[in-house]
Parts: sequence; C-alpha cells; structure tokens
Amino acid sequence: MNLLLAGICCLITCIGGVYAGTVRDPYAKLIGIGVIGGGVMPLIVARGYADVAAALALIIPLSTIFILQVCRKGEP
Amino acid sequence: MIPAFLQIAIAALSCWILFITVDILWALPREGGVVGAKAIAAAIERGGGHIRGGTMMGNIVSSPDASAGTLLAACGVYSGGIFGGLLATVLVYVGNRICHDPGYAGTTGCFLATFMVYIGTQLGIAAEFFVIGMVIAILTIQGVSHRHASRFLGLLWRLRQ
Amino acid sequence: MEAASMSEGVFVLPEYLTGPFSSPLLQSPGESAELAALLCGIIALYAVIRIMLEPDVMRKLPFLNVFSFAIAGIMALMIPHPLGTVAAAAYFIGSTFESNALASTYAGGVDE
Repeated sequence: MNLLLAGICCLITCIGGVYAGTVRDPYAKLIGIGVIGGGVMPLIVARGYADVAAALALIIPLSTIFILQVCRKGEP
Repeated sequence: MIPAFLQIAIAALSCWILFITVDILWALPREGGVVGAKAIAAAIERGGGHIRGGTMMGNIVSSPDASAGTLLAACGVYSGGIFGGLLATVLVYVGNRICHDPGYAGTTGCFLATFMVYIGTQLGIAAEFFVIGMVIAILTIQGVSHRHASRFLGLLWRLRQ
Repeated sequence: MEAASMSEGVFVLPEYLTGPFSSPLLQSPGESAELAALLCGIIALYAVIRIMLEPDVMRKLPFLNVFSFAIAGIMALMIPHPLGTVAAAAYFIGSTFESNALASTYAGGVDE
C-alpha cells in the first residue's frame, strides 16, 4: 500500500468522523459511522491482518444496528 | 500487451453488461425483494426518477445481488483462480440468506462472473482490472445521477416485459 | 514483536496463525493491483463527498453502497490470498446488512 492510498483512507475516516459529529439527522449520523468504519478497514488489511479485518467487518455493522435499536426504543 | 486503461474499459463494459442483464432477468425491478428497497425506491421517485428503476437500485443497495456477486467473483479469481471464484459464490449465497433475501440473483451473477473473469484472464485482461471495472460500473449506475439511472433502468425493464 | 516471540517458545504458535503475510510464499500485490486500488480509493473519496452533499437521507444510501464496493475492492486487492477475498466479502455483506437495516427502520418496517 503506497502512501497516497493510505492518505486517502485517513482522509475518508476524518471526513466521516467530522460529518457524523456535525450532522443533525440520526440516520445520517449512522451513515457517517459506516463511513468511519469503511475508511479504517483498508489500513488494517494493508498490514496483513485480514482476520482482524473480517472480525471488525462483522462487529461494526452489528454495533450500528444495536444503536438503531436503542434509538428506536428511545422514541415515544 | 493491451494498455492498462483499455483493459479497464473492456472489463468495466463487460461487468456492466453482465450484472445489468442478470439483475433484469431475475426481475429485480418488479418488487421489493427485501423491505429496505421500498424506502429507497420511494425516495428516488420523489426526486424525479422511475419507480421500477428505483426499486432495482434499492434492491442493489439492500441485498447482495449480481453486482456484488460480480465484484466478489473478480476478487476471488484474482486471489485464487476459478476456485477462488467458487468460494466467492458460496460467500454471496450466505450473504443473501443473512440479508433475508430469498432470491438467487447474487449467486447466479457470481457464478457466471467467475467464468467471465477467468476467460478474461486467459484473453489478457488481468483480474484486478475486473475489480476496478466493476466498481466503475456500479459508479455509473448508483453514483452519478439517480434520476437518469433509474429512468434508464425503467426503460430496460419495459423492454424485458 | 518477532524478537520477543522467538525468545519465549510458547508464543511462537500465534505467529503461524496470523494472516497470510506471515507466510514467505505470499508476495505483495503487483503494480497493476496498486493502480487498481488507487483508482478504487479515488472513487471511494468521491462517494464520501457525494454522501455529504446529498440532502435526502434515503438517497445517501446508494452512494454508501458505491463506497462499500470501492472499499471491498481495495481490501481484496491488497492481499492476493483467499483470506483477503473472505475479509472483503465479510465487509461488503456487513455493510449491505447495515444499509438494509437503516432503510427498513426508516420505512417503519421490521425491527431486528
């Protein structure tokens, strides 16, 4: 993985983080969390940790779905 | 030795034709195969698109269909030849069941794409160019203009009927 | 990390179980794979910018799908081993499942 691709993935992660932090709509926030997770995955894979990446690829969407359930129950 | 950008163009075109043909044949625009597709179809229609094209785009988002199958087949052939592609077919089948999709569009798309990518590698187009070609193909459908893409898919759906 | 593992014999075993790069038979991705991965990265960045600029929240989901395609492509290209394909497939299926849950919850549909 060359420096440019690693820089692009870091930029994607930062943009996703800032976007998720500043937007108001709850569904857009969850999409922002998905972008953060997606930006981080190539950086993990580039070191050879394919199994860690596969585990995270299951954990991050499941956490997003649990947040969705919590927010759903929080509404009246 | 074919120049790189020509290989990418040929790979993108063949991936585009394959996944649109398999999806239209499996009647993805007809109804919502999964529940989430209806919400996306309604939002695309609100923006001025075609409801059938929007349903197909919603089905592409909500469940692994032939587009995902083609991408994973290309990744499989890149890493392990034909057996890598068949491994990808099994993974796409499992993914379809996880996303509560009863159809077989993804599995057949992945199966056919395995052979398409393998024949491509024998003809001189490297497997990694099929990966980037598939990403470019899905970009033209879902990443540029939803209105025009859904109208185009609606036109193709009318041709099928 | 390798030096510490070699001095303590019982910790050698995890080294055999780590990813494919621990095997000397695997080479790093070639030139064309690096080019393809870079193009996928540019498409991913474009998709993130379109996600931010889109006003309607349900219409952000197709752009998120393009982003997932590009990231799965990068992950599969970085490791020329079937384990890379499995990781890319796991990421793509997870992202699709999450988009499906978002869209169906927005529509007031099935709760998981």
